Amino acid sequence: MLFPMSSARLSSARFQAGIAATLVGFLLVPLLVANAPLEKTMGIVQKIFYFHVPCAWLLMLSTFVCAGGSLAYLFAGSESGDRLALCSAELGVLFGLCVMVTGPLWARAAWGVFWTWDVRLTSSLLLWLMLIAYGLARRYGGTGGRRLAAAMALFAAADVPLVYVSVNLWRGLHPNTKTVSSLAPGMRLPFFVSLVIFSALWGVLLALRMRVERGQARLVELAIEIEDAEGKSS
Amino acid sequence: MTYVALAYGFIWVAVFVYVALVGRRVARIDAEIEDLRQRLKS
Repeated sequence: MLFPMSSARLSSARFQAGIAATLVGFLLVPLLVANAPLEKTMGIVQKIFYFHVPCAWLLMLSTFVCAGGSLAYLFAGSESGDRLALCSAELGVLFGLCVMVTGPLWARAAWGVFWTWDVRLTSSLLLWLMLIAYGLARRYGGTGGRRLAAAMALFAAADVPLVYVSVNLWRGLHPNTKTVSSLAPGMRLPFFVSLVIFSALWGVLLALRMRVERGQARLVELAIEIEDAEGKSS
Repeated sequence: MTYVALAYGFIWVAVFVYVALVGRRVARIDAEIEDLRQRLKS
């Protein structure tokens, strides 16, 4: 058992296999990256790209999934949509944090500074902060907190295209969107493998986090059933 | 090399801490569900 998950569902072979595959993938990614060719200008520090870009992609994916779930909650009253939105927002905060740490490490080596108010960096920071605000609104927003947070998720999703095209619209220091398509052939395989493994990790984490939410919903149902049963017996 | 190791190391630690925290919550909720099921049966 990798983690202390006691339910039959969590210890299902499929879920355990998913976790194991993800961990094996994580072990393989650094090996692939280590064997990738060195970039001529930046040297070894360019290898941060193989982790940084997948994290940035997952930040954007999480925001879109959060917005999709929020739409379902706002306009169809979907509780499962709301749960999906919360879980993906949390993953967005996690992978956004990884973006905010790995990016400055690359920037320090490439630009000589950890941070600069480049439009890509600033819009990404805003996106990450919006997801944090989403979580805070849900936690401390009172009775209307969930609806307020859902509206904020739509606002955050509107920032995603801006983050993506910002490097093409306003020429700053950050590499533009053509970087991936112009990768040298030897760099493409480790990059796309890394992207797939990080995406698989995101899927596993989302499934795990959703189980917490479903479990909490089940707890509420059971508590109501017990109250009803006790009311009938008294 | 230090920055590359720091970058990937940070991601590893962040993901591991997250999984450990969520795993603990799952275990706690499972225990509570089992407890309530037992109460409902009795």
